Amino acid sequence: MTNLFLFGPETILLGLIVAQLGVLLGPRGAAERWSGALTALGAVAAGAAAWATLNAPAAGAFGGTYRIDALSQGYKMLFAAALLVTAIVSRRGARPRLPDGGQVPDGGQAPLPADRAGETHLFLATGTLGMMMMPCAADLLTLYISLELSSYSLYLLASLRRDRRDAEAGVKYLLFGAATSGFMLWGMSLLAGLAGTTSLVGIADASGALAGQPVFLLALVLVSFAFLFKLSAFPLHFWAPDAYQIASTPAVLFIATASKAAAVAVLSRFFIWTGPIQPALVSILGAVAFLSMTLGNAAALVQRSVKRLLAYSSVAQAGYILVGLLSGSLEGYSSAFFYAVAYAVMNAGALLVVLAVSPSARTDDPELRHFDGLAERSPFLALILLLSLLSLAGIPPLAGFTGKWVLFSAAMDKGHWFLVLWGVLNSVVSLYYYLTLVKHVYLEKAADPSPLVLSPSLKALGLAVFVLLVGLGVFPSPLIEFARSAVTTALIR
Amino acid sequence: MTPGFPILSAILLCPVAGLAAILLVPRRFETVIKLIALAAASGTVVLSLILLRYFNAADPGFQLIERLEWVRSYGIQYANAVDGLNVSMILLTSIVIFCGILVSWTVTYRVKDFFANMLFLVSGVFGVFMTTNLFFFFLFYEVAVIPMYLLIVIWGSTNKQYAAMKLTLYLLLGSALMFAGFLYIYSMPGARTFDLIALKQNVVFPPDVQNILFLALFLGFGVLAACFPFHVWSPDGHVAAPTAASMLHAGVLMKLGAFGILRVGLYLLPDGARTWAPVIAWLSLCNIVYGAMVATQQKDLKYIIGFSSVSHMGIVLLGIATLTPAGLNGAVFQMFSHGIMTALFFACVGWIYDGCHTRMLDELGGLAKQAPRISVLFILAGLCGLGLPGMGSFVAELLVTIAAVSRYPLIGILSITALLVTAYYVLSAIQKAFYGPANAHHAGFKDVGAFQMVPRVILVGVLFYFGIFPQVFIGWIWASTQALLGG
Repeated sequence: MTNLFLFGPETILLGLIVAQLGVLLGPRGAAERWSGALTALGAVAAGAAAWATLNAPAAGAFGGTYRIDALSQGYKMLFAAALLVTAIVSRRGARPRLPDGGQVPDGGQAPLPADRAGETHLFLATGTLGMMMMPCAADLLTLYISLELSSYSLYLLASLRRDRRDAEAGVKYLLFGAATSGFMLWGMSLLAGLAGTTSLVGIADASGALAGQPVFLLALVLVSFAFLFKLSAFPLHFWAPDAYQIASTPAVLFIATASKAAAVAVLSRFFIWTGPIQPALVSILGAVAFLSMTLGNAAALVQRSVKRLLAYSSVAQAGYILVGLLSGSLEGYSSAFFYAVAYAVMNAGALLVVLAVSPSARTDDPELRHFDGLAERSPFLALILLLSLLSLAGIPPLAGFTGKWVLFSAAMDKGHWFLVLWGVLNSVVSLYYYLTLVKHVYLEKAADPSPLVLSPSLKALGLAVFVLLVGLGVFPSPLIEFARSAVTTALIR
Repeated sequence: MTPGFPILSAILLCPVAGLAAILLVPRRFETVIKLIALAAASGTVVLSLILLRYFNAADPGFQLIERLEWVRSYGIQYANAVDGLNVSMILLTSIVIFCGILVSWTVTYRVKDFFANMLFLVSGVFGVFMTTNLFFFFLFYEVAVIPMYLLIVIWGSTNKQYAAMKLTLYLLLGSALMFAGFLYIYSMPGARTFDLIALKQNVVFPPDVQNILFLALFLGFGVLAACFPFHVWSPDGHVAAPTAASMLHAGVLMKLGAFGILRVGLYLLPDGARTWAPVIAWLSLCNIVYGAMVATQQKDLKYIIGFSSVSHMGIVLLGIATLTPAGLNGAVFQMFSHGIMTALFFACVGWIYDGCHTRMLDELGGLAKQAPRISVLFILAGLCGLGLPGMGSFVAELLVTIAAVSRYPLIGILSITALLVTAYYVLSAIQKAFYGPANAHHAGFKDVGAFQMVPRVILVGVLFYFGIFPQVFIGWIWASTQALLGG
């Protein structure tokens, strides 16, 4: 019985999926009306279930293929929160209105096509279920299934549009993803063959004997590259800019927050299971981090589309996260959790503003110029965007700064001073393009100076982002200490 | 003797609370917003005067320590303390922000955002000056830098976009080195804390580590202190910034760089400082001479002041580089009196620019007749700038020069010659702008009224006070500079 209680969040999501399927089978229009509310309800329930089991002692389940502890439940709460935010912003009513009370015409580019609402919410739910299983996977098979479940949901979410160009980008995303998961399968088969078991604990036990073997290293690299694909780290980042550009903004928000955090979760868990990271793997990951930071920032410098800019910035952010993760220490994993939370908040903040701006820009893919004069049109949105961007650039006293501080101090502890120095120098580079967007917001004159009237839900979300950005930046202690204790329990077999 | 309440946190709280209050006031109540900002600034002045009363100048160590555990597992405490070095800097900041808010009474564009930014910036400055934890040092340091971008981009003039971006990127490049340096200090064996006092007591920094770390930190702080060749952001930034922002930036923010060198660099890494002192001395000579030379060639009043700041910050750095009590006292004194003087400069130029809509020397002329009050104020600032006896800068420059001549005779003598160049550009700027035939271009220019005289007169008063009673100031800092040199 305990097992099922611990399995609560996943069970609730399963129920949500069934419910969404039921709604889809129902009469026309039912999906549009009910699926959003169902998702929100499911997200809250799943988050509450994860919270209820937060302090339960670590436990295995399903014959040792699954492991539930404070770290996995912490990540699950983050996914549930991301799902909730996505559900809220997917509502039609969430978008800004004209001062006379009418909806801004959206030029045929609604954030979510109305007749796809049911499918969208279904795939959001399946994706979240996959993500929730990722940090719990204790066996290669569970790991593979959870990863694929979330990945395929995201491929579908990203291409739920009818536009031909969108379909092309969606197929690209799918093909890249399928290729990396093929390589991951290869790596997993090697691991299973070498260790003689599919259990991650068994592989960890065997890793001492296998440490020197090139095949073992190859297997680890192949598996971690599938995670790096989800993290959108170089050289597996190619899908990110296209997917961000074509996907509806709520879907991008989901990919940028939940999926990114899931990648951090699964990387931490995989490294925690397989014990001290092999020195050769550290060098490879170090190189990946270096290139991600450099190329992500360099490419972001020349972007016009704000979504592509955010996509490339996420490539650079993947580099920062890797710098912390490859320290392979308690500090590294716990600060990666902290940063995943901070990252989700600041990306959600930036994408909320993108979402709010896009109707009056008459495109779902607004460019820098569409942000002109936002400070006059909506000072509140401008402030949220400013804080989110500064936080992404690692400016205090915001969450991103504190996250970077703990992340890099973990890396410095292990002597990776060069990567740390390179990381902070890169943050300065990133500030250039973030400030360019800020300049459009605060300095340029708007082509359409009509004020943006925010819906209450968007206002509330913006306020939550504000509070979290400043709160996590100035009072990080509770979350840091939680992450440390969670990782400590996760480190015990 | 203690005040019975955390006075340093109270000083920091003034601008923070003011900021929060301003954010809550609707933007159409502009006067209310201005009054809140003024109240916050007055609070800091009053509290820093009270702080002086409780400050014991005979004690060389940290006093009135306030400590609150913040993030236990990373050795981060919210910790404040005063010693001779920062007690004067806190006073300087409160005076400059008070005068800056008064001078900004004329701001009419996006009033709420402007004063919010000013208070945010000054919270960062106070924080840097009073904290003893490297995490908060860095946090406040960047808090002081970032609002500058918005202040320049929104309310600035003359090539503001370029200047703002340049300033921000330069300063953050410097802080990136600090960031890495601080984390390296944290990862030293036996450290695992960001607390300066604990680091000083518990951690042994081997000489080669000191040399590398000091260099990294010096480069980081040096950018903000406008050390040659990293000074290029400063004239552009000061010219483009709105008046009050220039006052704060040249008056206080640049001092953060020099303060960081003393507080972190010299305090934790004395051997590193000794290694690099000759290099710093030569660089500071470049500052002094080059800044003064370039200032002679400028046509824009603000650029002249901008480059004179580069030159004057060179004197601060030279004083630090001597590593002698006289030099260090001179450096800190110069930080203070240059802060007041340059704030006065910018306060005057701001008024002239608002009235005449130009700062170019050939478009000005005869202002002394037309607007005697602002002219007298500017000329007083100028006389202080060229080191006239009776003004604060005189004593400071004298101390630094004496120390420099005895420590680095060649550099010392060359720096004295630069003082002549300073006298030349200051006097010729005064002559061109304030004397000679009146220019019809600005016939409608009005002199400062009684209200706008207040901040400027306060600044002049402070300059004279510490010029005539330098021993008051030296008395505050003496013990701490001695302790810093290990004496």
